Amino acid sequence: MNRAGRRPVLLPALMALPLMAPLAAAPAGSAPVPPPPVAGALPHETGTTAVAPLAPAPMVAPSAGATSTGAAPVPPPSAPSPNTIRLAQRAFSDATAASGYRMNAGSPWQLGLVLDVGATSRELALGMRQQGLGLGHSDISAQGGLGRHLDARITLAAHHHHDELEAHLEELWVQSRLLPHGLSLRLGRMASGLSPLNEQHPHADDFAERPLAWRAFLGGHWFDDGLRLGWTAPTRHYVQAGMEVFRGRQLIQSATPATGHHRAATGVLWLRSGGDLGMAHSWQASVGWLYNRRVATEDAHHHHHGHGADDGHDHAGHLHAHGAAFSGRRLWLAEINWKWAPEGNNHRQQLRLHGAWVRVTGLTPATPRREHHDAGVLSLVWRFRPDGEVGVRHERLQVQMPHNDHFHPGRLRETALMLAWKPSHRQALRLQFSRQHDAVSIVPTHRSVMLHYVIGFGAHEAHAF
Amino acid sequence: MKRMRSDPPRRLRAALLSLLLFSSPVQATLTVFACEPEWADLVHRLLPDARIDVATHARQDPHHIEARPSLIAALRRADLAVCTGASLESGWLPMLQQRAANPRVQTGEPGLFLAADHVQLIDAQPGFISPFAGDVHPEGNPHLHLDPERLARVGQALSSRLKQLLPERADEIAARHDDWQRQWAERMRQWRAQAAPLRAMPVVVQHGTFAYLWRWIGVTPLADLEPRPGIPPAPRHLQAVLDRTRAAAPVAIVTALHQDPQPARWLARQLPGQPPVLRLPATVTGVPGSQDDPGPAPDLDRLFSHLLTALVEAHARQPSNPDGKRPEPADTPPAGAP
Repeated sequence: MNRAGRRPVLLPALMALPLMAPLAAAPAGSAPVPPPPVAGALPHETGTTAVAPLAPAPMVAPSAGATSTGAAPVPPPSAPSPNTIRLAQRAFSDATAASGYRMNAGSPWQLGLVLDVGATSRELALGMRQQGLGLGHSDISAQGGLGRHLDARITLAAHHHHDELEAHLEELWVQSRLLPHGLSLRLGRMASGLSPLNEQHPHADDFAERPLAWRAFLGGHWFDDGLRLGWTAPTRHYVQAGMEVFRGRQLIQSATPATGHHRAATGVLWLRSGGDLGMAHSWQASVGWLYNRRVATEDAHHHHHGHGADDGHDHAGHLHAHGAAFSGRRLWLAEINWKWAPEGNNHRQQLRLHGAWVRVTGLTPATPRREHHDAGVLSLVWRFRPDGEVGVRHERLQVQMPHNDHFHPGRLRETALMLAWKPSHRQALRLQFSRQHDAVSIVPTHRSVMLHYVIGFGAHEAHAF
Repeated sequence: MKRMRSDPPRRLRAALLSLLLFSSPVQATLTVFACEPEWADLVHRLLPDARIDVATHARQDPHHIEARPSLIAALRRADLAVCTGASLESGWLPMLQQRAANPRVQTGEPGLFLAADHVQLIDAQPGFISPFAGDVHPEGNPHLHLDPERLARVGQALSSRLKQLLPERADEIAARHDDWQRQWAERMRQWRAQAAPLRAMPVVVQHGTFAYLWRWIGVTPLADLEPRPGIPPAPRHLQAVLDRTRAAAPVAIVTALHQDPQPARWLARQLPGQPPVLRLPATVTGVPGSQDDPGPAPDLDRLFSHLLTALVEAHARQPSNPDGKRPEPADTPPAGAP
């Protein structure tokens, strides 16, 4: 990608001016582009390094009947359409490219809004949705380029908790675009890349609630303040490694005075790989490791979960996690995604398998190593037509709950069945039946029915895998 | 996603590379990431030794691709990405660009070539787009490769970009481009002649996939089974289409290979005359250099030949006019109507 050395912008700009006239006068509609002259050099192909006339051939024919399609008579020239303006910008950009000046650098800004409204018959233990009608995780976001070198994003999210609307800043980051060797640097508030599911916004999930493992150990969707360094390997198979350093305030919201002062309290490392098998199968696997120096206070634990009927606390259903409900010093996470679509056409039919296993160790500084929290999830979703999906999910949680100087075990199992109607990628209507059972020391919600509707406006969320 | 050339094992490649470094200079080439097969074929015509990875194929709906790991890896190693633009890949290409962390192919860099930037699009719809309208592209209909003249313009712009990226091979690329333009102009003459009897032929379509082709051959579709792009046709809409087309006797119902043929087949059964349902590839079905069956349209030339041949055959097969002339709709009694 050799470019000529720096040239003044003025000269190419002046040469591009004659271009603007025919383009601005072009009709706003239907004349198809005529074929370029076949023989002889085209006007701009004078050489490889000359700056001068890089004026491409006119892109829109002046009206007189060069068309063979019998299109309707061309309307008289009017104000240039957005199309014409765009073509003019492109012509200018091409003309000035050799001088090193680039117009329209970076990505254009896009705004998006997603609303998730749901009705829940009974709030789940460790659930994110409140009983009754309420707003699920909804957000408004803007993403675009800051010049050539940076991309930026801001997301404000809100949800209902006990009929109060809680809003928070979920993302505010800048990311490098042009670092070499597959590196990328992101600074600010972001969702951790610890697992692919953690990077996804909850309204894009296949089920109405996040898996138990995320609700218990990561506050549902863990975002925090810090920096991320990622590296994508130049290999045939996708391999990505990442490292993050965070303040940790979003993970452990109230920490003991001894540990609460750390500024860089949480570190994350992860490794991902994935690929295709033939035309129809694709997979992605990731392992992540989180190191956390903040120790949650006992009050935080009491707030997060009840201790059963003997304590006199009736926290049935009030297991709403802000930050991790159960935490420790180290967290290990392994996740796999497997998708199958006949002939690779995932729009018509697709089978999605998702599995994850999470273990948290080092529960308090004094805890022996063998005490740990565990969680696992396995889900299967089948898109049987472009606008319909059905899915089933089973998950397990085993925790050690600190109580004064000892632990007592807690356990929960959850099974969910869901049916979704998705007429387009901007809308989803989901009906989910959830059942929590085999609980120890956590008050389960035996049956819950959820109906929620997600609708997106503006720039639609990119289809991550 | 298909690779176009076999990839020797890494160690062998490193050994070969070091051998070559001490011998004659290696001809510089590009690793290209083509979002759709039509661009892969175009790049192959201009730069046959380019290593091309194609992200999609003719049996996939390009709007709904997911940013899966194999595509991220392919974009990571690309020097040039050739895509359509006009929001066709907006659901997956930006995510690929972010995850691949390849500075060459970011938006605004010379390594990202968007075909829609170089031609005028039809059916632009600026302004607020309601979420109930389907996958509407504000810039216009993105399936511009099905107009041979726009394709020629894109070929010209692409050859300029290749020359910008490989200045030492500019003459060679220019020569190939001139050859291709000459052949393409000749083919267009042949296709215009072949498509002449198709002018004003009534067809029912599904989605605006072939919209540019219809305009080029002078056909105005009677009805669209999928007026809101990406949203499968509802029974009420299908009934409305049936009522509208019953009297007009369409010659064929045209759908793309990646679409579900059920609504089209239902309509064909209901209509008197039972027009054929044509499932046509919306893009090139072959991957140059691959050993797989290339399908009916191994390259761009044969794609247009195949499409026009299918349409001409359907037109000639009309039962009421063996000489190929269309009767006036008023003269055709609706056979089998209640």
